[in-house]
Amino acid sequence: MVRFSFYCFAASSLAIWAAAICYILYAVGRVRLAHTTMVTTTGTSVTSTGAQFGPGSLGIGRAGTLMTCFGAFFSGLSILLRAIAAEHVVLSNMYEYSLAFVFACTASYLVFERAYKIRQLGAIVLTVAAGMTFYIWSLPVEMREINPVVPALRAGAIMPFHVGSAVLAYSVLSVSFAGAVFFLVANRWSPRWLPSAEMLDDVSFRAVTIGFPLLSLMLILGSVWAHSAWGTYWSWDPKETAALFAWLVYAIYLHTRTLRGWRGTRSAYILLFGFASLIFTYYGNYFFGGLHAYGGV
Amino acid sequence: MADISLQTRPSRPMAEVVIDRIWRFLCSVRAAIAEIAILSLFVLTGTLRGSEVPQWIADLLPFTQPVVDKWYAWDVYRSVPFAVILAVLAIAIAVCTINRVPTIWQTISHPKLTTSRGWLRNADLSATYGTNGDVQSLSDEITGILKQHRYRVLTQKVGEDIHLYADKNRYAKLGTFPFHLALILLLVGGIVGAQYGFRNQEFTVTEGQTRDVGHHTGLSIRLDRFQDLYVPMGVASQYESTIAILKNGKEVKSGAVSVNHPMTYQSATIYQSAFGNSIVLKITDPSGSVVYSDALPMGSFNLKGNPDAPAGLIDLPAVGKQLVVAGPDVAPFNQPELDKLKLQSGELWIEMSDRDPALAASTKTDQVITLGKPATIDGYTITFERERRYSTFQVAYNPGIPIFIIAAVMLLGGLAAIFYFPQRRLRGIVSPAQTGSSLQIAPLAKRDWSAKRDFLRVMEKASEKLGEPEAMKLPSKGSEWQHFTGSSTMAP
Repeated sequence: MVRFSFYCFAASSLAIWAAAICYILYAVGRVRLAHTTMVTTTGTSVTSTGAQFGPGSLGIGRAGTLMTCFGAFFSGLSILLRAIAAEHVVLSNMYEYSLAFVFACTASYLVFERAYKIRQLGAIVLTVAAGMTFYIWSLPVEMREINPVVPALRAGAIMPFHVGSAVLAYSVLSVSFAGAVFFLVANRWSPRWLPSAEMLDDVSFRAVTIGFPLLSLMLILGSVWAHSAWGTYWSWDPKETAALFAWLVYAIYLHTRTLRGWRGTRSAYILLFGFASLIFTYYGNYFFGGLHAYGGV
Repeated sequence: MADISLQTRPSRPMAEVVIDRIWRFLCSVRAAIAEIAILSLFVLTGTLRGSEVPQWIADLLPFTQPVVDKWYAWDVYRSVPFAVILAVLAIAIAVCTINRVPTIWQTISHPKLTTSRGWLRNADLSATYGTNGDVQSLSDEITGILKQHRYRVLTQKVGEDIHLYADKNRYAKLGTFPFHLALILLLVGGIVGAQYGFRNQEFTVTEGQTRDVGHHTGLSIRLDRFQDLYVPMGVASQYESTIAILKNGKEVKSGAVSVNHPMTYQSATIYQSAFGNSIVLKITDPSGSVVYSDALPMGSFNLKGNPDAPAGLIDLPAVGKQLVVAGPDVAPFNQPELDKLKLQSGELWIEMSDRDPALAASTKTDQVITLGKPATIDGYTITFERERRYSTFQVAYNPGIPIFIIAAVMLLGGLAAIFYFPQRRLRGIVSPAQTGSSLQIAPLAKRDWSAKRDFLRVMEKASEKLGEPEAMKLPSKGSEWQHFTGSSTMAP
C-alpha cells in the first residue's frame, strides 16, 4: 500500500510537471514572426521582421487543465493510500506535509480556474507545485516509509485540522502570489492575451480572503493545541512567530487595500513579500530550533 | 472710510488640541498600518533570533558579529519597545473601532438614496433598460428582481424620477468589530493569564515522591509510576506518568498524564514535559545528622567535557557545601575518548566543594561511590540508595483561556462575515421616457472586479424580465468583459 501510494505520487509528479509546462506555454502565448515590406518612393523595398505575440493555444491550456486534474487526483490518492496504510492522518513529517501541499495547491488552483475562467495563473501555481514535488523527491528515501508518530504529534483531531488549515492556507495564497505576478506583468506590458489587471488584482484579493482566515484558523488551532500540549497557548516559538509574521504581512495587505485603497502595484508587491514569508515559515524547520523541531525532517 | 474689524477665531484650550491630535493619530489608518508594519519587524527580528540566520549573516560579513551577538542576546518579546507597540496598537484598534461605528451604522441604516446622472454616466459599468410602463411599474419590477437576489431596495421620488439604492450583506460590515475586538481580547487574555495565573515549567517529581504545587492551591502531586515505550528504532512511542493529585494531603484525583493529555483539577493543569532517571542519595554530616535525603534528577545537566554523562547538582547551604554528581556515560560508543571516568552501572562520581566560590577550587574532593555502599567524602557520609524514574511536569493555571476562546470565535466569525458576505451596492434612476420609462443602473464597484461580475449576473437575470438592455456599458479594460456571459465561457 505504501509503495502504491508512492507510485501515485510519482504519477502526480509527472502530471504536474507536464501541467506546469503546458500552462507556461499557454501563458507565454504564441510568437509569430511577422514580415513587413515597404516600398519607398524610389522603388526600393524595405523588409522588416518582428515578433508578434498572441494568445496561447487553447489546446495547450486544456491539456494543462487535464494534467492538473490528474496531478490532483493522483496526489490525493497517494495521501489516501498512505493514510489507510498508516491508519492515521498523514501529516506528521515534511514528506507527508509537502504531499498534502501538492494536492491542496493543485485542487485550489482548479477551483480558481473554474471560478474565474482563466488558465494563465496555472503557469505560476503549477510551477510552485512542481517545485514542491522536486523537494519531495529530494527528501531522504526513509521518509517515504511510514514511521510511528512521535507522542508530541498524537493530539487527536486537532493535529490534522491545524496542519490541514496551514496547508490549505499556503496553497490558496500561492494562487494570490500567481495573481500578483501576472498583475505586475499585465500592468507593465498590458499583453492582450492576459486578463485585465483589475481581474488579476481581484483574483489575488479573493485568494487572500480565503487564505487569511485559514491562516488565522491555523494560528488559533495551533494555540489550542499548544495549550493542551505545552500548557500555554503562545510560546513565542520561532515557527509560531514566523507564521504570525506572515499573518501580519497579509493583514497589512488587507488594510492597505480595503482602507487605504491600495490596489495594483503596491498591493502586488506586498503579496510577493507575503508569499516569501510563507516559504520562510514553511521551510523554517530547517533553520529554526524550538518546539516545532519534531515536525522537521 | 469703511470700518474694518478683525475677528480672531477663539483659540482652543491646549488640552483639547492635544487630545484631538492623539485621537486623530489613533484613528489614522496610515498610522495603524505603520504600527502593524513595526510590529511585523519586531516579530521578524524575534523569529530570526530563534534561527541560525543571524549567524549566517555574521559568517558572511564578519564585521556584523557584534551586532549579531546583541541580536541573539535581545529578548524581543519581553522588551519595552515591543510592549509599547503592542499597547499602542491595542489602543489604536479600540479607538479606530469606536470612531468607525457611527459611519458604518449610517451606511447600514440610513444610506444616501439619491444619485446623479453624471455619476451614472461616468460609471465604467452600467445598464440602461427601457419599458413601455410608467416609472412606478418599472421601479417595482427592478425592485422585485433585486429582492430576488437578496438586495434591500430603497427608493426616493425626486420630481418625476425615482432614485433607487440597493444593497446586499449590509450587516457583514459589522464583522470588522468582533474581529478587531478579538485582537484586543487576545492581548487581554495574555495579560490576565500572566497576572492572575501561574506556570511552573520545571516541576520535577520522582517515583514515589509527593511535591507541593504551591501558589496557594493546597495541591500536591505524587508520581506513582512513570512508563516509557520505544519502537525498535529507538524512537519513543509513548511516555506517561501515573499521578495522584492531593488536596491538603487527601487524594482527590488520579490517572495518567502524557503529552497532549494533561490532567486538570480545579485551577491547576498538569502537563507531561520531560522524564529521566534520578538517584536517591542520603548525606549525613560528621555528627551523623542527615543533611540531605532526596531523589536527584539526573540529566538536567551534563558533565563538563562529556555531553553523554548525565549530571546533577546538590546545593547544601545549611552546611556550606555543594556536590556535583555524575552518572555513567549513556552512549559509551559515541566519542569514547571523552568518557574519562569509565563509570559502570550502579556507580556515581561525586565531587564535593565549598559553596563559597573563592574556596571552591581549593576544597574540591571527588570520589566514585557504589550503589548501597556508604562512602565518606570530607567527613560526610554519602549513600547511593537506589535509582528511580522521574517526570518533569508543567503545572499551570491560566485564567485567560476562556477569554482566548471567546476571542478566537469572534476573530474567525468576524473574518467570515467580512470576506464571505461582501457588501454589494447599486444605484439607479428610473425616469420617464418618450415611450414609457427607462432605468439606468450601475454598481458602486470602483476597481472591484467581483462586484462588477455580480452586477452583470444580476443584470442578466433582469434582462430575462425587462428584455435586453437598451445600452450596456462595459469596462474599457479587460478582455474578459467582452466574453462575459455569466456561464462557462473561458476568457480569453
